[in-house]
Amino acid sequence: MKKLSMTAIALLLSTTAHAAEPVKIGVATPLSGTYAGIGQQVRWGLEMAAEEINADGGIDGREVELVFEDTEANPTVAVQKAEKLFEVEDVDFLTGTVNSGATLAVGQVAERAGKLLATTVSFSDAITGEKCSPNVFRVNARAGQQSAALAAWLEQQKPGAKVFYLGPDYEMGRSTVAAFRSNAEGVGAESMGEVFAPLGAKDYSQYFGRLRASRPDVVYTSVAGNDTVRLFTQMEEFGIRNGLTILGASGTVTSQNIDAIGAAAEGFVTGVGYSPLIDSDQNRDFVARFNAANDADPDLYGADSYGILFAYKAAAEKAGSTETDAVRAALEGLSWDTPQGTKTIRAGDHQAMQPMYVVQVKDGAFTIADFISPEDAIGDDTCARF
Amino acid sequence: MRDRLMLSMRASHAFMTIFAVGAVLCALWGSATGDSFYLRLGTEALILAGLAMSVELLLGYGGLLSLGQALYFGAGAYVSALVLRETPSFWLAMGAAFGFTLALGIIGGLIANRVRGVYFALITFGMAQVAAKTVYNTRELGGSDGLIGVPQIAVPLGPYSVSAADPVAFFLFVLGFMTLLYLLLAYLLGTPFGRVLTAMKANEKRVPFLGYSIWRARMVAYVVAALVAGVSGALYPMLRGFVSPELMFFETSGDALIMAVIGGLGTLVGAFYGAALITALKSVIGSWTEHHLIVIGALFVAAILFMPKGLIGRIRPRAEAILGGKRAIRAEAQEEHP
Repeated sequence: MKKLSMTAIALLLSTTAHAAEPVKIGVATPLSGTYAGIGQQVRWGLEMAAEEINADGGIDGREVELVFEDTEANPTVAVQKAEKLFEVEDVDFLTGTVNSGATLAVGQVAERAGKLLATTVSFSDAITGEKCSPNVFRVNARAGQQSAALAAWLEQQKPGAKVFYLGPDYEMGRSTVAAFRSNAEGVGAESMGEVFAPLGAKDYSQYFGRLRASRPDVVYTSVAGNDTVRLFTQMEEFGIRNGLTILGASGTVTSQNIDAIGAAAEGFVTGVGYSPLIDSDQNRDFVARFNAANDADPDLYGADSYGILFAYKAAAEKAGSTETDAVRAALEGLSWDTPQGTKTIRAGDHQAMQPMYVVQVKDGAFTIADFISPEDAIGDDTCARF
Repeated sequence: MRDRLMLSMRASHAFMTIFAVGAVLCALWGSATGDSFYLRLGTEALILAGLAMSVELLLGYGGLLSLGQALYFGAGAYVSALVLRETPSFWLAMGAAFGFTLALGIIGGLIANRVRGVYFALITFGMAQVAAKTVYNTRELGGSDGLIGVPQIAVPLGPYSVSAADPVAFFLFVLGFMTLLYLLLAYLLGTPFGRVLTAMKANEKRVPFLGYSIWRARMVAYVVAALVAGVSGALYPMLRGFVSPELMFFETSGDALIMAVIGGLGTLVGAFYGAALITALKSVIGSWTEHHLIVIGALFVAAILFMPKGLIGRIRPRAEAILGGKRAIRAEAQEEHP
């Protein structure tokens, strides 16, 4: 009985102290290792958003405090850090996970701890699909949304296209090709064949025979990095690039390899959830402020991470608390403004619906070619758990 | 008979007792304060100590540098996770992990023991990388995402049952499990096989002249080390609820090696101290700066330079002197100034 009353007093004290206490948001993100560059963008985006929210009076008058932990892009480290943030730092909310494996594993930790996790980076469809969790949200576009946006563009621009697929021979490469293939066939494209080249392949000409023989008018590829450089330049040298439209995954041609690809990148098309080129007042303003603060352009990771804090603020204020169940209910179906337009969290699978952009390389630089509405890109709700 | 090996083992047992008592005190503190994070981190350190012990056996006693012990650790973890997702039975998962790593250890041993020295190190490294990449690209094993959804099981221990979800109980259980592994290995090292292993480290060419097969000793050491790593790995998904290919990556093998070296090669108990120290350092420094790898690397270099025998290797002669009296001190003095 005495213990009970003590707990009651402690509870009472904690609720009265709550008003002044900051809202703690844990950020478990790779600050070192393979994905340190992505972690940097996540950090910049979140810090900028926290600063703006605090300057504007915080969340219901409570200041936002970010607590960073380095996950080293390794799920086994990420779960440790997530537990530390939940148990020792007692954060109200967790975000920042980058690799899909880490998001899935940390999502399970969040579920067992009764807290919420939102990823702003992970692409794997499973996170809000077959492996969905009631405690996990995703505010960035998943792989399927990129494929769907690209397929919608294909339908508009080249109805009934004949498509050939060329992917890197590993699990992710094969699954991106399979995802786009089913999307493309869904909008009436004809599949002419597919090949998979080993990662880091030096010579792609051995695949050109099959490519030519199948007479496609569109080639889809999900190779990345230096592989793209070799594939595109070799296609150009062999003269089979002429008359072909090349579509690709969002990581195929990036600011890092576009210069090395040179003229061979011309006309390349991909679907993205964010581009600093988006022509809206809100985005121009965001890019300018981001540049002023960090001396770099935001990429999709920076923009999506910036957006998540405003979603959390809106949900926590709507719920009137930072309790897990209340915030979850408020996040489900929430619409809020982000640099890339209005996003809405679908209640059925906790996946954010957002406008998708089709970007194309013109004169050696990306330009926005088209815009796909959130409803056209979202795809089916395949989450069966809640 | 009383000789150097038995004396040093007795000193190691003393350090193991100190470690176990310290760990139990930590558990009491954790249970009093209601902590769960540090106890679960401690449990992970104990599991990694199992992996470091397998490095100890190979390198510390047999002089065999394996750069791929994570292969068996990861294999045990994956088998255990796959079994637990279907049937949440501790003994079934442990049995399956044991059987699988036994088979894998025999195959790996047959391949790796065809060569020695640096080639042995390279081939063990290569085998682990091949296995890690295979898992990484196998969709049935979750690919790069790994497997989640391993239930929090109850471990039946006779009339009692320990829940993996209870930080204190599971910590104590893993502590007991690892202590048992330690005692088994210590016993094994005291048998003639252990003597051959130690002799092999001292001078590989002379051992056959005494009538012992080097190949057999190496093979047994390799398979036992694989089993130790495998059953340790099998505990990982019970603690964390998931497995991912990173468990098989070189980082895991490398960390185990660092733990064994910092703790003290050839002490066996050093694995526990090394694992506890490195896990604690990684967690603390990792939260403090993102340049933690530089700090840990510098510490490792400093440890090698100033404490080449590791933490326990450095202080064990004193313990031996206390336990063995003056004779041991004389032996020690003779060894240092022949």
